[in-house]
Amino acid sequence: MINGRDKKIPKRMIKLQGIGASPGIVIGKAFILTGDVIKVEERTIPSGEIGCEIKKFKRAIELTRKELTEIQAQAKQRIGKEGEQIFGAHQLLLDDEVINDETIKKIQGECKNADFAYYTVMQGFQRSLEDADNEFFQGRLADIKDVKRRLIRNIQGKEPHYLNSLTNPAIIVSQDLTPSDTVLLDRQKVLAFVTNVGGKTSHAAIMARSLEIPAVVGLQDITNLVESGDTAIVDGNQGIVILNPTLSELDRYIKHRDRHNEISKELSKIRDLPCRTLDGKEVELSANLEFFSEINSIITYGARGIGLFRTENLYLAKSELPTEDEEFEEYYKIAEKVSPYPVIIRTLDIGGDKKPAFIEIPHESNPFLGWRAIRLCLERVDLLKKQVRAILRASVMGNVKIMFPMVSCLEEIYKTKVIIEQAKDELRAQKVPFDEQIEIGVMIEIPSAAIMADDIAEEVDFLSIGTNDLIQYTLAVDRGNASVAHLYKRLPPAVLRLIKQVVNAAHRKGVWVGMCGEMAADPLATLILLGLDLDELSISPAMLPEVKRIIRSATFEQAERIAEKALQMKTSEEIETYIRNVMTTRYKQKILY
Amino acid sequence: MISQTVKVQNLMGVHARPAAQFVKIASKYKSDVYISKNGREINGKSIMGVMMLAAEIGSELLLKIDGEDQEQAMAALVELINNKFYEE
Repeated sequence: MINGRDKKIPKRMIKLQGIGASPGIVIGKAFILTGDVIKVEERTIPSGEIGCEIKKFKRAIELTRKELTEIQAQAKQRIGKEGEQIFGAHQLLLDDEVINDETIKKIQGECKNADFAYYTVMQGFQRSLEDADNEFFQGRLADIKDVKRRLIRNIQGKEPHYLNSLTNPAIIVSQDLTPSDTVLLDRQKVLAFVTNVGGKTSHAAIMARSLEIPAVVGLQDITNLVESGDTAIVDGNQGIVILNPTLSELDRYIKHRDRHNEISKELSKIRDLPCRTLDGKEVELSANLEFFSEINSIITYGARGIGLFRTENLYLAKSELPTEDEEFEEYYKIAEKVSPYPVIIRTLDIGGDKKPAFIEIPHESNPFLGWRAIRLCLERVDLLKKQVRAILRASVMGNVKIMFPMVSCLEEIYKTKVIIEQAKDELRAQKVPFDEQIEIGVMIEIPSAAIMADDIAEEVDFLSIGTNDLIQYTLAVDRGNASVAHLYKRLPPAVLRLIKQVVNAAHRKGVWVGMCGEMAADPLATLILLGLDLDELSISPAMLPEVKRIIRSATFEQAERIAEKALQMKTSEEIETYIRNVMTTRYKQKILY
Repeated sequence: MISQTVKVQNLMGVHARPAAQFVKIASKYKSDVYISKNGREINGKSIMGVMMLAAEIGSELLLKIDGEDQEQAMAALVELINNKFYEE
């Protein structure tokens, strides 16, 4: 760690890109949480004291059990059943016979101190789980580490830290937040948290969202770049953390933050207004939903339904894998909550970078062109059918639509429809009710599907354009690859032209077409998308008012002309400059992104 | 000692919750409980062990139980697995 920095020299601004795990923008002082660092020394115990050492270990287990019971009660109160279950798993780990026997054996056989013996045993298990390359085990790992730290601290007779040293509100910076740290976070003192490790589906991220604390995770080495007391900006919406911002950057973000606050103040005004242009054209504005816990904010922001419910989090985020009944209950719950507005449930999009434990996905040198989403599901028909059955059962609510990701050709659609029919037949035979008229749609996110949109539209009830992948595949650019990331554009002309083709093809066949990628939420793209005649935009809830405001400020005719003009332009820069001009001069829109 | 082979039938395999159920039931009995899969044997009373087996649907598990209440333990555990851990 670099600590020898001269405090008098203004520190260099550092901008870090991580994963936005919980939305919101805050500016504050950083506080490094070091309580989770454990130090274990190897010592040899005189043979006369071995009994004592074992007693120490057993006493620590009892102490830990008491702590866990207390935390479990708090977790239940603050987070509900899910929180309670997490700590139930901690209790089982604490009582694990094999771990505890091996530790005692090590103390006896090798005459080692209790904390070292336990640490060594746990490291062994941890390593084998770390080798298992999937997110499911990564989640378990956080639990294992949490129990390990707690027990070792108790063996060493140290006091728990519990974030007690925090006196003023601060941004918490740490290697990782353990599930118990997160439960005990004091909402009054914690402005945000940022961590080196973790993903969107880690326990810490899930809890941050339900506690409504902004969070950015996966920042790699932020703990080494920051010192307690440094000023930091946390943008949980975009997954950005800025350390020691320059005055101009600070200023930019203060405006940014105030804009968000302003929007939320005006929310009540715009929330209930229709998403309609000045000349009366309506656009369906719906929200993307990742977790049921976010559903209230969707309603607060005034979405008309859910344009994309990503089901993979049901599989990746929870500590256990869902049954058909559980899936059904989750979908039904959502459908009930948003009724009478529609909810589009997208079947599993796993593979690529999202690997659950229950499917062996071989290492692929090019996972984004590999075995994922519908390709994988069509081979694991058991999984696909289970999910389709669950969605069909939830469709009794009458507002459920089903959508399939990563379709690249007609054959996949034919095969998928056979499975839907089989599932329907099964349900009919079992006299289980479902919506016979359920709409079936596919995502258009692969260029081949965009090109074939005409024929695809004949097979389905709707199309939804996924722009993140469509841009990545059309431009052949991996946004995560720093060497080519600059080639990934917000408004690439090639993609805009493809979108136009898709919309036209769908409308010719009388099929409606929506968009659910990031572009749909980009205020710079709104007028173009409106002009291209998309029927629906599904976006992250926080961006809903902004996009609605833009749509309400223009006429459809104006938007059509703007889109027409943009489509003739040759570079993405040209398009961006043009739109910025139009928006600031003609529509007096402030543009922040 | 008695032994029996059972096949994992629940779609999601033996993951966190089923593993916890297995361990809780196994721990009620005095007998030692071992599970092996593809030649790897673990203690059936250890949550860590059962989780690390990562037994998927279709996996064949060999249960070996040894002790005074082995018959009852075997019956309870086989029932749990054959009933898909009461998940489906």
